Formats: sequence, C-alpha cells, structure tokens
Amino acid sequence: MPRKIIIDTDPGVDDAMAIFFALRSPELDVIGLTTIFGNVHTSLATTNALRLLEIAGRPDIPVAKGSDHPLAVPFGGPVPFVHGDDGQGNVHLPAPTTAPLDQSAAAFIVEQVMAAPGAITLVPVGPLTNIALALRLEPRIIERVREVVLMGGNALAPGNATPAAEANVHNDPEAADVVLGAGWPITMVGLDVTHKVHMSGAHLAQYAQAANPLAQHIARIVPFYRAYFERCFPGSEGIYVHDSSAIAYLLDPGLFETRQWPIRVETQGISRGKTWPATGSGNDAHPAAWQGRPPVNVCIGVDGARLVALELERLTRS
Amino acid sequence: MTRKMIIDTDTASDDAVAIMMALQTPDIEVEAITVVAGNMPVEQGSINARYTVELCGKHVPVYHGADQPLTREIYRAYFFHGPDGMGGMNYQAKTPPAEGHAVEVLIDTIKANPGIILVTLGPLTNVALAVAKAPEIVENVNRCVVMGGAANVVGNITPAAEYNIWCDPEAARMVFRSGLPVEMVGWEVCRGEANLSDADMRFLKEEINTPLAHFTVDCNISALDANRNWLGDPGLGLPDPVAMAIAIDPTLCTRQSKHYVEVECDGTYTRGMTVVDQLNVTPYDTANVAMWQPLTQKGAPHITVCWEIDARRWKDLLYQTVRA
Repeated sequence: MPRKIIIDTDPGVDDAMAIFFALRSPELDVIGLTTIFGNVHTSLATTNALRLLEIAGRPDIPVAKGSDHPLAVPFGGPVPFVHGDDGQGNVHLPAPTTAPLDQSAAAFIVEQVMAAPGAITLVPVGPLTNIALALRLEPRIIERVREVVLMGGNALAPGNATPAAEANVHNDPEAADVVLGAGWPITMVGLDVTHKVHMSGAHLAQYAQAANPLAQHIARIVPFYRAYFERCFPGSEGIYVHDSSAIAYLLDPGLFETRQWPIRVETQGISRGKTWPATGSGNDAHPAAWQGRPPVNVCIGVDGARLVALELERLTRS
Repeated sequence: MTRKMIIDTDTASDDAVAIMMALQTPDIEVEAITVVAGNMPVEQGSINARYTVELCGKHVPVYHGADQPLTREIYRAYFFHGPDGMGGMNYQAKTPPAEGHAVEVLIDTIKANPGIILVTLGPLTNVALAVAKAPEIVENVNRCVVMGGAANVVGNITPAAEYNIWCDPEAARMVFRSGLPVEMVGWEVCRGEANLSDADMRFLKEEINTPLAHFTVDCNISALDANRNWLGDPGLGLPDPVAMAIAIDPTLCTRQSKHYVEVECDGTYTRGMTVVDQLNVTPYDTANVAMWQPLTQKGAPHITVCWEIDARRWKDLLYQTVRA
C-alpha cells in the first residue's frame, strides 16, 4: 500500500518539482497539500497548489490554506527574484477552477493524522509554522504521526537566506525550534545535502523532451529559477535540488547518510534561523540548551547523482 | 630581511608552543608579547609566556593586558590545559613582566613598525581595545593572523562557537569590523590531520630529542588528555601553533577565500559564532542588506578564511623550530 503523505508547501518552483515527483511515485499517496508563506505569500501558495494539482490531473487532492504569518513576527516577504512574481517562474498560469478546503492547514493536518494513527507522513518543504500550530492544536499527533521529513535547515553548512540560515527555517525559526524539539520521528533534509544535489542544464533539458504535462510545466518554470542560481553562484550551472530531496528521502532513505543529533534553532541575533546540532563531542561545556532535546535524524551526506536520476526517471517517463 | 611580529596571547600550553615557533624562526623578530585573559588569568599566562621566552634564550618583553573580557564573565579553560595551563608542569619564570599595559604596547609597537604581523592566540580583548583607542593602527598591520572561530562548522566550547571568539565576542566583532587584515585560522583546520599523532609525539621526544621538543609535548599533557577524552579527537591538537605556522609561512594555508564575517553577540545558542557569508548571499535579501551593512558599507569582503592547510608541512615547520 502506498505511503500516505501530506506536503506542506509554498510553491515555489522547486516545490512544484517536489509535488510532481511525489505524484508520479507509486510508493506515495499524496492525501493533501497544505500551504504556507515563504517563496510566495500564503494566498498565492494556495492558488499555486490548486493550479499544480490541476496540471497534474489530480484536482481531487484537497488543499488546505495555512498560516499567513510566522508564529512570532511578521513575514519577511516573498522572494520573487528566486521564484518569479507568480512563484512559478513568471509564466502566469490561469486561475484554478477548484478551491481550497474550508479548513485551516493545521486543522487538516490534525484531523488526518488523528484519524489514521501511524499512517500519515508529514513532508514540510516550507517554513514550519503550520506544523508548529498543528502540534499546539493537538499534541497527540506526536504519537499518531508516522514520520516527519522536512526540507530545511543547515546543520554544518552555510546558509542561503542569510549567511547563517537556510530560507525555510529562517522564515519561522520559532516554529522550527518547536517542530525539531517535539520528540517525534523527524528527519531534516537541509542544505548539508541539498547543496550536494545538482541538476545540470543537461538534466533540466530532459524535462522539455518529456511528453507528460508535469514535466512540460517544470520545463516552463525552471529557466527563471535556474537563472537565479547561476546569478547567485557565479561559475555554477543548473540548480540545486532542495524540496525534491525530501521526497527522495521518502522513496529511498539509503541515498542519504544521517546522524542523530539534538538541534536548537537560534531565534536571536545575526544568526537567527541557524539550526545548530550538538554533535556530542567537544562542545559540552555549555550543553544545557541542548539537554533533553530529542535527536533529529539529520542528513549529512547524499548520493546526489542517484537522487537526480531517480527524480528524472519518475518525472520524464511518459 | 627580518619580519616584525607582535603576539597577543592567553598563554597556556599550545600558545607556548606557538610563541616558541615564532622565537625560533630566524627571520621573525618578535617585538613584544602581550597577554590577555582567556584560558588563564593574565598573571599565569604571563608566567607561561615568560618561561617560554627564557627557554628559547630570548629577551622579548611580556606585557600584561586586559584581565576580563569587555562585557562577559570570564570562563577559564583549566579543564583543558591544567591548573597552570601547562599540563601541571608548574614552570617558573625568572624574569619579571615588562612595565606598561598591553593595549598601549600594541598601539605603540604597531605604530613604530609599519608592515608588522599581528598574531592573536587568545580572546581579542586587548586588540579590540587597541583598535578602539587608535583605529589608525590597522593601516600599519600587514597581516593579522587570528587563531579563532569556526567557519560554519561545529565549535569547541559550544556547538556553535570556538573558545577564543566565544570568550569575548564583542571584542572579536570589533576586531573583525576594524579593517585589520584578519586571516581567520578556525578551530576546524587545526584538528584532524593537523593533530600530532602518538608517532609524531614519539618522533619529537625520541628522535629530535631537544629540550624544546620535550617542552612541546610535556606542557601539553593535559591538553592531550582533554583532546582525547573531552573532544573525542585522537592525537594532540595544537590550534595556536597551526595559526603561528601560517603566520610564519602563509603557503601552509592551501585554500582560502575572502568573506564578510560577523561575530554573533546576540544569539541565545550561538554566542561567538563566526558567521561567514560563505555563499555570498548578503546582497540578495533586504533583511541581509540591513543587518550586514556595518560590514558591506566598508567595501569588499576583507576577512580571509583559511579552509585547508598542508598538515604535513605544518608539522615539518614545527619540527624545524624545535631543532633550532
């Protein structure tokens, strides 16, 4: 039986790729999308989620709109220079014909997880606000969830939103500290690995060659996103694979090397949003803040070539 | 042609080996050693520094400096270096400390010696006070080699921070922002392959077998123990000597790049983190632009981060200096 997942998402070019990657993987059953601010505002994220499901021929999958704002502070704003004004590489899709549920993302997550103990995997690939709200709404989801696999954070890698922090966690560090400390089975797929997963121009060209509408959509939206990477990382070519790496973890955890480390998320100062692991050696002079924190399964290594091959195989076959 | 150097240090065992390396390098002329609070109280660090100078048969003045960080409570590293900082060897110095305050000496010495190399082996309190009082001295410093920080990697005193920077983060921030041509030799390049193995230590004591070779190993007995049992690292880590080796021979650093580097002073968990803009993202986000303006408004990145060293050649340089 395919594994039931809820993707919490702020689409987003790489979110679209991740959602489509999941939809075209028979091992996974996407039972809903929940939306969040991040790459775009939550309202646009919701519209885009509906559009993506239509393109994929899956308008039956429910979409629940999430929080407009981080837990503690105003939203810092979308990143049109990365994903386009429309979050989809400025291709300006038509309005969706479907509508979101009349239920918040957090309420949807709680309802689904509570109704199917041990069955639902949460896959947040945006800021963790909805997940933190769901935890506050119903703490028993900690025992009822199957697993949480998130894209976000940087354990021992430099940041991409700020020099210290990864974008998803930086957008709501307070929520991330709650989610990473909740004591449920949780895997962090962060920049430690996603900056080692590289999709080249030649790889990206394969989307345009594929006949299916999902690959065709990716081919349309990815050039804008690719241009951002090549502008920001001079000398680079192609893109890093962020959100899809979380989907790949669900399909084949063997692609990754992991460590079990407790993590704190900095909420103050210039390093706000930095996820710091206590790696257990050499730094226990002041461990109080990490003591009692549950271990997080932190991805620190990845077979990037195999991951890219897996995603391309799923998305480009007819 | 000799090169002038001034060393600021919280002299415990690895500082002592670093000082020895400088003193034993023929083309390096150490103008002064200034002592700062850190691993050890200034009084003890001063004894250790003076003993090291005497052991090398040199006459370099040792000055006392700040005995507290700028704003933080001092946190000593007795647990790492032993009660005397020298592995319990209790070395005694015959010479007294020199008259004058380290901060004044840093300013005067740098002013009198354009092109001087400044090497810092401890918290940056003295240097911060010097650049605060006389900001113009930065122009005279050819290189400022800092043993400190951890460039986006795990720290050694907290998960986020290396001890020297963590001990006085405000001072470190001042120094990093001062315009001094800082070369950051972080903790991470001073461990692993850079550690002296058991065979390396046997080689020092049994093959080289000079008083300085014995000193190098003997004063680090506590550090060796702490390295193994507390850090969980094999061998003897010698961060300050690695930084000094790079100060003596810059080619020992085999990969480096310039970045904006900010020191975290406000973090709940990340005090003293050296935040390196490794991916050069500061221009791309309005929040970054505002937060990083104190650095970016001064022009291009000027902090050189050392990413890799030639471990074999650093050890060769150490061996060469203990033979001399």
